[in-house]
Amino acid sequence: MQHFQEIEHTADWAFRAHGRDLAQLFANAARGMFELQGGVGRGETSVVRRVAVSGVDCETLLVNWLNELLYLQETQHETYSRFEILEISDTELRACVHGRPSRPEGKLIKAVTFHDLQVRRSEDGCEAAIVVDV
Amino acid sequence: MTTATHAMPTRSDLVRVSQHLWEIPRSFRDDMRAPARLYADEALLDDALGDRSMEQLVNTATLPGIIKYAIAMPDIHQGYGFPIGGVVATRLPEGVISPGGVGYDINCGVRLLASQASVDEVSPFLAELASLLYRNCPSGVGVHGVIKLPDAELDEVLVEGARWAKDHGYARQEDLQHTEEFGTMPGADPEFVSHKARERGRGQIGTLGAGNHFIEVDRVAEIFDQPAAECLGLFPDQAVVQIHCGSRGFGHQVCGDYVARFQTTVRNYGIELPDRELVCAPFESEEGQQYFHAMACAANFAFANRQVLAHRIRCSFEQALGGRVPRFDLHQVYDIAHNMAKIEEHEVGGTHMRLCVHRKGATRAFGPGSAGLPGDLRDIGQPVLIPGSMGTESYVLIGTHGSMQQTFGSTCHGAGRVWSRARARKTVRGQQLRQELENRGIAVRTGSMPGLAEEAPQAYKDVSRVVDVVSRAGIGKKVARLEPISVIKG
Repeated sequence: MQHFQEIEHTADWAFRAHGRDLAQLFANAARGMFELQGGVGRGETSVVRRVAVSGVDCETLLVNWLNELLYLQETQHETYSRFEILEISDTELRACVHGRPSRPEGKLIKAVTFHDLQVRRSEDGCEAAIVVDV
Repeated sequence: MTTATHAMPTRSDLVRVSQHLWEIPRSFRDDMRAPARLYADEALLDDALGDRSMEQLVNTATLPGIIKYAIAMPDIHQGYGFPIGGVVATRLPEGVISPGGVGYDINCGVRLLASQASVDEVSPFLAELASLLYRNCPSGVGVHGVIKLPDAELDEVLVEGARWAKDHGYARQEDLQHTEEFGTMPGADPEFVSHKARERGRGQIGTLGAGNHFIEVDRVAEIFDQPAAECLGLFPDQAVVQIHCGSRGFGHQVCGDYVARFQTTVRNYGIELPDRELVCAPFESEEGQQYFHAMACAANFAFANRQVLAHRIRCSFEQALGGRVPRFDLHQVYDIAHNMAKIEEHEVGGTHMRLCVHRKGATRAFGPGSAGLPGDLRDIGQPVLIPGSMGTESYVLIGTHGSMQQTFGSTCHGAGRVWSRARARKTVRGQQLRQELENRGIAVRTGSMPGLAEEAPQAYKDVSRVVDVVSRAGIGKKVARLEPISVIKG
């Protein structure tokens, strides 16, 4: 299964991410977010960041995780392409993200929203539709 | 809290109130606390029903303390939480403030600067001017380099807004007079701003950013109201400049911080909402006050940002036109916010009430005689700046008594999208669009061709149609129409 698909939204961007479990959903959502912003570049990654976030529930955790990556992207001038989820529950996440120095070119996501957000779990895995402000 | 799925409003759910005003009655959904109203003609109504914007409008009608109606302007389109083009006023002290009702780009707005030169005088130097504007503005490298603010000075920006810019040589006194809130939003307290917001904002003063933000050099193509135009210093064929941008990463972080935090706040206050992006807190509560203090900091960041950009534009004009074109100097016509929550007094049913007015993709449009206007504009009303889509026309309006009576002193903010960004990217090639604009004599400078394609004019409604509706409905009065001669995008 493709790890994410862009979905129609009039003003902003929206995409649906999937994963066989919560860890893969969170990694794929992060990958989708960076690919939507113009790809993650090629070649070896050269920077590693450790990320720890928490949230009152799974949806808040997902928004906080993605917004943390946007914060790092903007302040460190980096783009990330590999997301190792080290530990995850519905309310806590620890991860290592790998990327490279990169100045933004073109469109950047301002923020990840809670709009209509629900992490859906089934026998096939996890899925969430994410709307971002651009 | 879960996200409920609700029935989408259809044409049959709408009641026509007057020629350009439609209402979804409170009976449409059990959780509505007020009716929802939309300003539109038939075609714009069809556009509004074409995506989920009307459902989002109904969702905003559930906010605790809402007064009169949830209102949508004719440029309404689907957003997140609030629709873009939404106005919701809540009655204080019990009413709520919602960070999602302001949005991530707090105090995104438009500034209009006007030269005394004609387009014919400027045109021979337009290519050079466009390149200088591109070099000096979007990236923030600017004519004097990047402004990196230490903590104490960043605090001054957050509290003082455009006044900080004046103290540092980026503004003239008359610029402040012709800025909403006189360039300083009251209530700012940096104590309630996160370290992350500071880190994002520190190096972004005087930068345009990407997305739909732009600088545009325009020609005054048509005057509708001669006395008002004279009062604003506008005349036919004049070269003017629009700036559209906001509070950059600083505002995005402030909004994100509080939307995440308010996920628990709504539970604590027992507030049930149909969409988690609408989370809110009673305005007078500790949490509501903290967001308001932080939001005001972001609003001031945006006023300072547009002011420094205005300074860089003035420098670019001087570099390109100095010694070549007489009267190129730019005076400020006005600066407006179109993403903000403000504490205002309005008359409702014969009673003066203190309200928290959320405008999300809507512009304050105070009528003649209103408090908050500088002396020279008090008789005509507040200037309202309505940018069209890229490469098309824009409008200058003024607020009216009608906007004060009908919409808490508010009107539309732009054209409003009809195509998704994905569709625009698939349909339009950035390079081809640039060529089309250049063929029409519009000098284009951009950092991103896909970004240019997403902002293609076909992706937007017809701004003239939007402005005609607000004009006929009496919630804005046309003063002038502008046509672009150069577009600068990040």
